[in-house]
Amino acid sequence: MNLVKVPLLTRMRRMTPGQLLLFCIMAAVFIWFITACMVLPILNLLKTVFIENGKISLSSFQKLSKSPRAMKALKNSFILAPTLSLTVGFVGISLVLITEYFDVKGAAILRLGYMTTLIYGGVTLVSGYKFIYSNNGVLTNFIANIFPHFNKTWFTGYWAVLFVMTFSCTSNHMIFLRNAMRAVDFQTVEAARNMGASQWTILRRVVLPVLLPSLFAVTILTFITGLCAMSAPLLVGGKDFQTINPMIQQFAEMTTTSAKSLAATLSLILGAATMILLAIMTAIERRGHYMSVSKVKTKIVKQKINNPVVNILVHFYAYALFVIYVIPVILIVLFSFSDSAHIQQRQLDFSTFSLKNYGELLSKTTAYKPFLVSIIYSALAAVIVGLLVVLACRYIQKSKGTFSATALEYSLMIPWLLPSTMIALSLMLAFNQPRWYMFNKPLIATLQLLLIGYVIVKLPFTMRMTKAAFFSLDNALEDAAKNLGASEVYTFRRVIFPVLLPTVMAVAALNFNGLLTDYDMSVFLHHPANPTLGVKIKSLTEEMGNSSDGVALTFVYAVLMMIISAIVLYLVYGRGGKDNIKE
Amino acid sequence: MIRLNDIEVRFGDFTALKDINIHVEEGQFYTFLGPSGCGKTTTLRTITGFIEPSKGTVMVKGKDITHVPVERRNIGMVFQNYALFPTMSVYENIAFGLRVKKVNKTDIDRRVKEMAGKVELTEQQLMRKVAELSGGQQQRVAIARALVNNPEIICLDEPLSNLDAKLRVQLREELKEMQAKFGITTVYVTHDQEEALTLSDCIAVFNKGFIEQIGTPNEIYSHSKTEFVCNFIGDINRLEKPIVISLNAQTDRNLDPEKHTYIRLEDIHVNNTSAGQAKFRGKVVGNEYFGLYIKYQLEVEGQILKCIDKNDGRQYLKKDDLVEVSINPDDLMIY
Repeated sequence: MNLVKVPLLTRMRRMTPGQLLLFCIMAAVFIWFITACMVLPILNLLKTVFIENGKISLSSFQKLSKSPRAMKALKNSFILAPTLSLTVGFVGISLVLITEYFDVKGAAILRLGYMTTLIYGGVTLVSGYKFIYSNNGVLTNFIANIFPHFNKTWFTGYWAVLFVMTFSCTSNHMIFLRNAMRAVDFQTVEAARNMGASQWTILRRVVLPVLLPSLFAVTILTFITGLCAMSAPLLVGGKDFQTINPMIQQFAEMTTTSAKSLAATLSLILGAATMILLAIMTAIERRGHYMSVSKVKTKIVKQKINNPVVNILVHFYAYALFVIYVIPVILIVLFSFSDSAHIQQRQLDFSTFSLKNYGELLSKTTAYKPFLVSIIYSALAAVIVGLLVVLACRYIQKSKGTFSATALEYSLMIPWLLPSTMIALSLMLAFNQPRWYMFNKPLIATLQLLLIGYVIVKLPFTMRMTKAAFFSLDNALEDAAKNLGASEVYTFRRVIFPVLLPTVMAVAALNFNGLLTDYDMSVFLHHPANPTLGVKIKSLTEEMGNSSDGVALTFVYAVLMMIISAIVLYLVYGRGGKDNIKE
Repeated sequence: MIRLNDIEVRFGDFTALKDINIHVEEGQFYTFLGPSGCGKTTTLRTITGFIEPSKGTVMVKGKDITHVPVERRNIGMVFQNYALFPTMSVYENIAFGLRVKKVNKTDIDRRVKEMAGKVELTEQQLMRKVAELSGGQQQRVAIARALVNNPEIICLDEPLSNLDAKLRVQLREELKEMQAKFGITTVYVTHDQEEALTLSDCIAVFNKGFIEQIGTPNEIYSHSKTEFVCNFIGDINRLEKPIVISLNAQTDRNLDPEKHTYIRLEDIHVNNTSAGQAKFRGKVVGNEYFGLYIKYQLEVEGQILKCIDKNDGRQYLKKDDLVEVSINPDDLMIY
């Protein structure tokens, strides 16, 4: 059905005075938010890079080229990103083949193990890996006991970062590539077999081509993750392997103008690289996905590996990966019940197990405050961003194709193109002094700044998901409500919003989950007296060698995070909930 | 009751409707029939107010409602997929329009239950979510929701198109009964000619944004005014020149062989000497058994003609059987 485009002025003329006032207030809020919190800070960042003493200058790039640390960080990032794409690609594809394509015994258990990265990631995961693999780590000690000449300081630098990130970045594969694998029409596999194709030929010529578009997309996302790596290089990179983001953080923490300009320049390079990669990804997405053309699509049937030697090797590989994924989770859970002395010695003694560490979290202000701060920030940001995007999507839906709707949509998608470090830095540089568009109040070291950052960074994801839900709505529902005499506001409140609510709630839950242990943005924007969980875990992890109490607290945080994430993911994707998320 | 005067609807450069003039009388079951994209739904949406015409007027009971917003028209509508609100119960769906009008709770309850009774929905079904109902029950909810507000007119936009064949026939009958029971002026949109012929008092056949013919089902079927209507309604044979020339030779008619001459399947008689003035020798080249009737393909004068014969056990012709075919020139439709 053709939708009639009604010009904005005509629609405004048809509104009641109350509706018009509400519309004007909302329009003013959106224009102010987009301009003051997104566009002007980015322009200010560009000014920091390109304007010196009131003139256009490229001196910040010259300064950058003369800074050995910065150049090394750039080089490291561009080494890490491609190698990470390869290692994550290899592991990620094998996880999907093991759990979805080949008949591997215990696939359901293996899948659960491989999916632990969905509930356990970022700074918490790096902290757990450090506890296990670092000098004096549980596994390092175990190996050193067997091989006395084993280098106990092996877990530092490039290889350590690559190792941690390889196993922490397979979440996209377990979501997107797995979905693509499930979309393979088994009749095409049977047809190939019927024509005499071998298992390898079927995999190479029939199955993998269907996965290719998703594979390209997740590879690019991994490349971007590698470029923007923050907590892994910070915690296990050591002096020799620092990447762009930790370097931006270090420069940003310095007080000199030239250091800030270096940070801005680095973030701009990171932003430019991200934009190029996302442009490539969009071009790939536009080529579309392979759609099954069968009238009756058949679910894939797991393939037995015919060669017994290969079969054993695949099973061995599958369980080795399972151990790598699961060991940190199990040890963190177990050690979270252990006492300080045993944590210090990296020894498990079940007789010493207690809930003392959990009790301390509840009783000590310094322990529960970061947890509370993160919960409040994440919840507030999830609600605000959800509300803003629902209102924006409603406007975009009603005014589809008009200039104002297109401008609003593109503006809210700006943060998708920019790494969160760049957004954080732009906010930090813009609001370290009073700005008229922020009512002449500096926002640095205030509680609001991090909230603004969180809202901005979650806009694109929320926008994509919510817009998809809006546009998959049956237009007839709205027509039916109008036909029964309902006004636009009543229709939205009673008919449209209740239909969208499960999606809005699911997206809010995922946003809440994603922000809970955020480090990349928090480290730039958090209030000094109110560190977030990510910041706290990072500082506790750095003290790992000195304070066993801190380590115990980190484990308690990690366990609670895992529980919260698991509940959120179950509510969103579990029983019947997966229909809420469509893109 | 409803008058559409010179309605024109444009979407940008595209003219969706042109010169639409329709008069629907009170209590009539009026059907808009035509292929996809012909403008029938656009006309319906113009009546309900979802589309404002670029030209022309929409009158209901003599009042011009062309610019009256949809929510103030008091025209009930049943949508193609019923558009039942999925988050509400059946009761809430039916009560929706009454709540919008701020009818008091007791009256809402009474009217919802009354209407549910009329469309044969039980009290238990009223409490269910709409997704828990069958296709037929959903249709009844959609009708109840539209009728509970006492509209002057009810519009139905292909309400049977998403159902399987058996249910479609069953609900078609229910729909006809319900319309008779409520006596409400009904405007119905369909692309299914059988549905239009069985349900309607009057049919408007649409094509490419124009109306080809308005008439009773019999007028539309037996006296199609245009070649499009004749082809669109029912199955038909177009006679080629040799048959037309032979027809002229056998009768006193002077049919123009250059014109397009059509005959319906049931007007071709096989081995029935009493029927028809012109006789031809034919051969059976195919047959399809339908139970109530048999459909034959006959080779006549080098042309394949389709015809149907009542299955009364009198004859069942096999492939290559030779037959006598009779045609009455009065049954021909010429364009």
